[in-house]
This record gives sequence, C-alpha cells and structure tokens, in this order.
Amino acid sequence: MLPRLRAPLHLLALGLALTACAPAASPSATPAETLPASAAAYPATLIDDAGRSVNLPGLPERIVSLAPSNTEIVCSLGACDRLVGVTDFDDYPAEVSDVAKVVIGAQVDVEKVVAADPQLILAAGNELTPSTVIARLSGLGYPVLVLYPESLDELYADIELVGRAIDASAEATDLVAGLRTRARAVSDAVASAQQPRTFYEVGVFEGTIYTAGADSFLASLISIAGGDPITGDPLSTSIQLEDLVAADPELILLGDAAYDPSITPASVAARAGWEGMTAVTEGRIVVVPDDPVITRPGPRIIDGLEALARAIHPELFS
Amino acid sequence: MTVGTDALVAAHDLVVGFPLPGGGRREVLRGVDLSLARGELVALLGTNGSGKTTLLRTVAGTLAPDAGTVLFDGRSVRDWRRGALAQRVAVLPQQLELPLGFSVAELVAMGRAPHARRLFASSAADERAIARALLDADALDLADRPAEEISGGERQRLLVAMALAQEPDLLLLDEPTLHLDLAHQLGLLGAIRRLRDQRGLTVLAVLHDLNLAAAFAPRVAILDEGRIVADGPPSEVLSVDLVRRVFGVPVDEARTSDGRRHLALREV
Amino acid sequence: MRAAATTSPRYVTRPSLTRAGLVLGGGGVLLLVAMLAAVAVGSVGVGVGDTAAILGRRLLALPLPETWSPAAETIIFELRLPRVLTAMLVGGGLAMAGTVFQALLRNPMADPYIIGTAAGASLGAIIGILAPVLLPALALGAGTAWLGLGMVQAFAFAGGIATVLLVYAVARGNGRVPVVTLLLTGYAVSSVLAAGVALLMFMSGRALGAIFGWLMGSLAGATWPSLAFAAPLLATSFALLLLRWRRLNLILLGDEPAAHLGVEVEREKLVLTMLATLATSAAVAISGTIGFVGLVVPHLLRLATGPDHRLLLPAGLLYGAALLALADLGARLAGGIPVGIVTALLGAPFFIWLLRRSRDLSRAATS
Repeated sequence: MLPRLRAPLHLLALGLALTACAPAASPSATPAETLPASAAAYPATLIDDAGRSVNLPGLPERIVSLAPSNTEIVCSLGACDRLVGVTDFDDYPAEVSDVAKVVIGAQVDVEKVVAADPQLILAAGNELTPSTVIARLSGLGYPVLVLYPESLDELYADIELVGRAIDASAEATDLVAGLRTRARAVSDAVASAQQPRTFYEVGVFEGTIYTAGADSFLASLISIAGGDPITGDPLSTSIQLEDLVAADPELILLGDAAYDPSITPASVAARAGWEGMTAVTEGRIVVVPDDPVITRPGPRIIDGLEALARAIHPELFS
Repeated sequence: MTVGTDALVAAHDLVVGFPLPGGGRREVLRGVDLSLARGELVALLGTNGSGKTTLLRTVAGTLAPDAGTVLFDGRSVRDWRRGALAQRVAVLPQQLELPLGFSVAELVAMGRAPHARRLFASSAADERAIARALLDADALDLADRPAEEISGGERQRLLVAMALAQEPDLLLLDEPTLHLDLAHQLGLLGAIRRLRDQRGLTVLAVLHDLNLAAAFAPRVAILDEGRIVADGPPSEVLSVDLVRRVFGVPVDEARTSDGRRHLALREV
Repeated sequence: MRAAATTSPRYVTRPSLTRAGLVLGGGGVLLLVAMLAAVAVGSVGVGVGDTAAILGRRLLALPLPETWSPAAETIIFELRLPRVLTAMLVGGGLAMAGTVFQALLRNPMADPYIIGTAAGASLGAIIGILAPVLLPALALGAGTAWLGLGMVQAFAFAGGIATVLLVYAVARGNGRVPVVTLLLTGYAVSSVLAAGVALLMFMSGRALGAIFGWLMGSLAGATWPSLAFAAPLLATSFALLLLRWRRLNLILLGDEPAAHLGVEVEREKLVLTMLATLATSAAVAISGTIGFVGLVVPHLLRLATGPDHRLLLPAGLLYGAALLALADLGARLAGGIPVGIVTALLGAPFFIWLLRRSRDLSRAATS
C-alpha cells in the first residue's frame, strides 16, 4: 500500500479559513473544500495518491487519462472536451469514443501519449498503470497524477484533487456533495438492518476463488451497503475454499455473472464443496450485473453502491 | 642417461597418481628419472598403462606430479608461464578432438598461437612457419581440406604439423605413428630425425613398436610399472631378456641386413 | 615421401578476406538499415524528413530550422533513439556472450543465461519490483516510481553477477572448473533460484504483470540514463572479448591441448566467463531476459563465417545488434508486446530448422 495524503494539507487549511459556503448543505465529517472558481490556481503543486509531488505549471487544456475511472472523473467535472487521450477500455460517457486511444489492450503506448501533447496525465495506481510507465512519462516532463482510491472518502478526495488540477473545483465540490448525499442515503437506509455475511464473487479461475480483498474498496462498499463482507488475502484477493466454507456466507453476490452468462445461481449451488453454505441452502445467490460500475473507482461507483444495497437488502428498496 | 646442467629437460623422481572412482589411488609413476640433453632423440617404450602418456603430460607441465620435479631449461615447468613454455615445448597428443569447420591449414595455424604477435592477423613469419610445418609433416596436400573429412592417417600428419608449427625446442610425441601405414610411419619418423639433425630439435617420442624405435632413436627408455627400468642405446637395452621380463612376450633375436639387432616375433 | 616445392601456398589459414568483408560489411549495412528503420518507424508516424532533421539537429548540432513539433522531437530523441541504441547494445551483447559460452562450454545449446545469469537477475529484479509493494517503507514518497526503476535494474545486475560467482565457486574443485561441472552446477543453481522466482510471482498480486513483462524481456524502459549505465559495461566487454578470439579458438581444442598451446586455461575460462557474464548482466539489467538471440545468432552466423572467432565474434556483435533492433521494431508495431515474445516467435522456428539441418549433416557424415 502506497502512502498518500488524503488531501493537500495546506489547501485544506485554506479552505477552512475561507468563508465561502459549500453549495450543498450535506453534513459531512470533513469540511468541504472551497476555492473561489476564479482563483489563480497555477502554478500548482499537488500531492497524488502515490505520495508524489506533482507540479502543474498552468491550466491543463489537454488531458490524457490512462484509466476508465479517471476518464469518468474528468467528464463528470465537465472537462470531457479537454481529453486528448483515453484507453480503448473506456466506455462512458459515449463521447469519449471519438478521443484518440493511447492505451491499447492495457499497454500504454508512450509514443501516442507524447504525440497527444498532454499537459496533464491521469494514471492509475497499484501498477494498474505500470510504475515504469509513470516514471517514463514524468521523466519526460509531463505532470502525472496517480490516482488510487481505496474507499469512498479517498474517491471524493481524488475527485477534488482532479478538480483542483483542472480548475474545476466548484464542479468537484458539487459532485462530491451529491455523491455523499446518495451514499449517506444508502447507509441510513440499511442502518438498522441485520448485516448478512456477504461473499462477493469477483471470479473463479482454475480453482482459485477471487473476492474482495481485506480492507479493500469493494469490502468497504459492501459494508456501507449493509453487508458483512467475507474477504480474501489483501495482496492476491484470493480466498481458499475451506476458509470460505468456514466463514459460511449467508449471501453470495455474483459479480462475474455480468461477464459470463454460464455463471448462475444454479451453477454456483452445484459446485462441489459449496453445498453446505447457508447462502446455498437458503437459495440466497444473487446475480449482480452492475459489477463494471462497482469495480470502477469513478463517480458512478455510487450507482454500484446502490446496486449492492439493493442486492443485499432487497426488502428495504422497492 | 645424461643428467647435468646441459639437460634441456630433466624429470627427477616423479610420482604421479590418480584417484580411483571408488576411492583409493592408482599410482602410475612411482619415481621416474629421465633427462634429455639438447638435440637428443629418445624413444619411450613400455606396456599399456605403464604411464607413458602420464609421463609426457607431466614433462609438458600440464599435469602436476604428486612428488618430484620437471626442469625445463633449468626452471621447473610449474614455474614457467604457459605462454612462454608453449613457445619452446610442443606436444603431439594421442588423440585430439578436432572442432568442426576448420580446414587443416587453419588448425595448423593455431599452432602459431604461442608466437602470435599481431592482434588480428598472422605475420609473414607465422605464414612461413605454417608452410614449413605442413611440408615437414607431409601435409601440404591436405592443407585446404576440411579437417573433419580426412582419414586417420592424414589426421596424424595434421597433428604433427600443428606441433611443428610451434617451432619448438622440445617435441613430445605420444604415439605419433598411430593410424599410419608403414611408408608414412617411416616417412614421419625420418622427417623428425632430419629435423633433429638439421635444427637441433630435442625429441621424446612414445612408441609401441620396439623395432621401429630401435631403427629410429639412438636412445630408448623403457617404462615398466611406473619406473624407468632401462635407458640407453637400443642395441644394449632391447634384449630378448628385457622383452620377456617387461612385456611378457618371448621373442627371438635376429639381425637386419645392415647389422642391427631385430626382435622377431614367433608365430601367434 | 614427396618433396613438394611451394612458392605461394594454395591454402588459407584464416577466413578469406572476401568472406570476412562480405559478412562484416553485410552486418554493418544491416545494422545501419535497422537503426534507421527503427528510429523512423513507430506507432506514431513522424515524417522521414523530420526524423532526419531532428537527428541532425540534436546529434550533429546542425543549425536546421525547427519545422517539427516538440512532441515529434520527444518521440524521436527521447523515446526511439535510446531504445534503438539499447536494442543494438543488448542484441550485440547477448550474441557475443552466447558465442563465448558455446565455445567455453563446448556446447552448441549454450545461451548467455546457461550458468545462472537469468535466474539470478530475475530473482534480483523481482525483489526490486516487489520491495516497494511489500515494504512500504521503501516507497519513499515522490521518488517511488523513479526509485523503483533504478532499484530493479541494480538488483537485476547484482543478481546476475552474484549468481555466476556462486556457480563458479561451487563448481570449482582442485583449482579447476571442468566444463561439465560448470554446466550442471549452473543448471542446479538456476533451478533453485527459479523456484524462488515462482514463489515470489505467486505472492506478487498486482505486480505480476510487471514481473511477467520483465521476464519476457522488453526494451520499453530504455532511457538515456539506463543506456549510460549499461553502455560502458557492454562496450568494455565487447572490446576485451574481441581481442581474445585466439584463445577462444584454442579452447575449442580442449583444455589440455589449449594449455599446450600456451593458454592459462583455468584463468582464461574465468576471464571469459566473467566478461560474458558482465555483458549479459548489463543487458539483462536494462531489458529483462530476452531469449533466443544469444542462442540462435551464433549458430546461424557459424554457417556463414565458420567457427573461427576472429570473424564470428564481430559478426555476432553486428548481426545481434541489427536483429534485436528489428525485432524491437516489430514488437512496437505489434502493439507494444515485449520484444522477448518476438524473439521467441522468430527464434524457435529458426532453431528447429538449425537442429534439423545439423541432424541431416551429421547423418550424411556418418553414412
């Protein structure tokens, strides 16, 4: 886990000192970031999720995103037209299909990134963008912000970080406030419900079962959605079958069913060794088609959170 | 046996043994004394396994004895730098695995390595030495043939040429007449004898044919069970008694037309 | 016995100058073409005129008007040129090291990694990749990415060299290192280290992609600084190995015959091993374990040059460099796949062809 600061401390202090109000009156644990939209914010020095200090000499008009989640953040801040490079995996919003692809088949084409002449590059942490590529690009002089949120609060901080980077802080504040509201609505709704032991199946490959890693983003989402997540090894995200049986899930969510139609509650119930689980005997195996949104750490993850809550507590959501 | 300060090479009290696979040790040389003066031509004879090749390797300095010394030109061969020694001593091995792809002449040229001066090319002196070696070894007609295509006898001439290309002072030959027909055997030994006569080459040759050794060398040394048991002119050393004692074979004495002693085999 | 009078010899004692000229000249031309093609072509099109102008301006300080974009200059000079030069040095180094090991070990199946370099460098590299992931204390804030790159290279280099020293020390007995013992010890030590590599890969989690990319061998990380690290090491080993062609030829005759011809065999084996290992480790440190170049290039060249190292070594340098530069061009055009995949795809069929050819040749020879 890479050490990172949640928010640049000096800007937090500045926000506290200013009297401008947050547009949405949502109670939140930390005071919302406020900056006058017309503040001369450049040159700016920002700290990214990898703890790297990144210098932005001016307003970035040309932005390259190396991960679909970063693309969605930029577009949700209203800066979609400033994107000059995205990945071939980007599918939302629809207008990014016209943008040049600089990441093809998960390989970052450095030449194409350079050709796009970016003024800001948004990379993904934890080797999703290889650290060698990050080093290469920053070595060439491009400002590279590495984003890797592992919780909702970290995601909100990342949205605000990007907002600060591209001079869309007001939009970021609005967006975060809205997301917080919806998240709060979910956690309020499930507050008094009993939390079932929930197993979220990310995939089963060659006999190895992949799920939410301990202390992972997915695990925190399940918690907020009112479930008690059964988690796997934090590094490999795998869990041994005997550990899963010992944990005895009461609810099995099939995230991989979104990609593989052969994975159904019936096929899972038929698996050798799974028949003793409470979820199987009680028939609480649920297909979750929203896995693409649940696992993409962008603004639509709240959609995913709501989908999780509906899957875990169908009785609370009509 | 000449032991003195004018000996080119002198082996003294050599003891050499090899470890056996199952443990223990096989003593091959058990105290060998042998010296050659400059220009001496000596044939080394003995039974199989008596240590002839081992003695040659120890004299050449590539095998370290358990005890005893070998002096070349007054200095222990273990003290000589390999490169310097190779300019003076050449070895004709009993067998040599020839690497594929080289011509006969290219292999003979490798014999010039100890004298090589230029970084990437050979000098005119090298070329002359190679030509002379091929001539002396009667291998000129083989020179541009691929080495892997020549016959056993031709190979032998190649090996001789390689050793001669070194222009050594001391030539150590291990069974040089192997694979050669009679004419070539005599031709080769005749050439070596001529080289000794003309250029003062010192020669120690391991031979297996007693009569050939007698016809070729003015001095023979007999190695039996790791010791030199006889050393001197063939007319004195090669007797019926010695042959029966060392080789365990009964022979009859005869005379050649030029009056030398010949050991004749009886019917098998 | 015939007396043959000769004034001028009808034989040759070395590869003919014509053959040497053709082989080395051809290699030089191929290298030049490969270099130009690899710099001029990539996933982003930069016009030939612009390419030449950029190179002229940056390399030769020609005062040319700047008609190209800064992006084009970055692509040509910061991305492609160091990558192509790295490919050339690595390709030449692996080919030379392979040639040396094939002679030293008298084994045509020898490649530069055979006595443990790959296994040791891989283990070092993986430790370098995983250390910042497993021990956050080593990921020092803003410098993480850069430090990570430097660490992987350094650990890989150290791992390669240390492993060969270990193998050599273990294989040594009575002050001699018999060739077979060296081979077997290299194999044994490599196997142990490979098990360590596999274990770390299993534990690696998200870093598995980075590890796999390194193991396959890739020139994507080639920068001017990494070139500055490896180039002096490679150049030194090239020069010293080229000068030792005679000793390599003699070693082909066998340990004892070589000694009789003046080679200090044990010392020479050590020197040759260490020079080849230096080149291999430097290459592997900056490009991962690229396969087949060190095995196939010497084999192929021997068909054209013969076994004389006087010609074989410099030819290996030229053709190895050219071939890897071209293979890397192919890798880039194929979507940025690791160049090790390209060399394997090309090298394996060539290797099979070579095996069949040598089998047919030996069958003809013994029939």
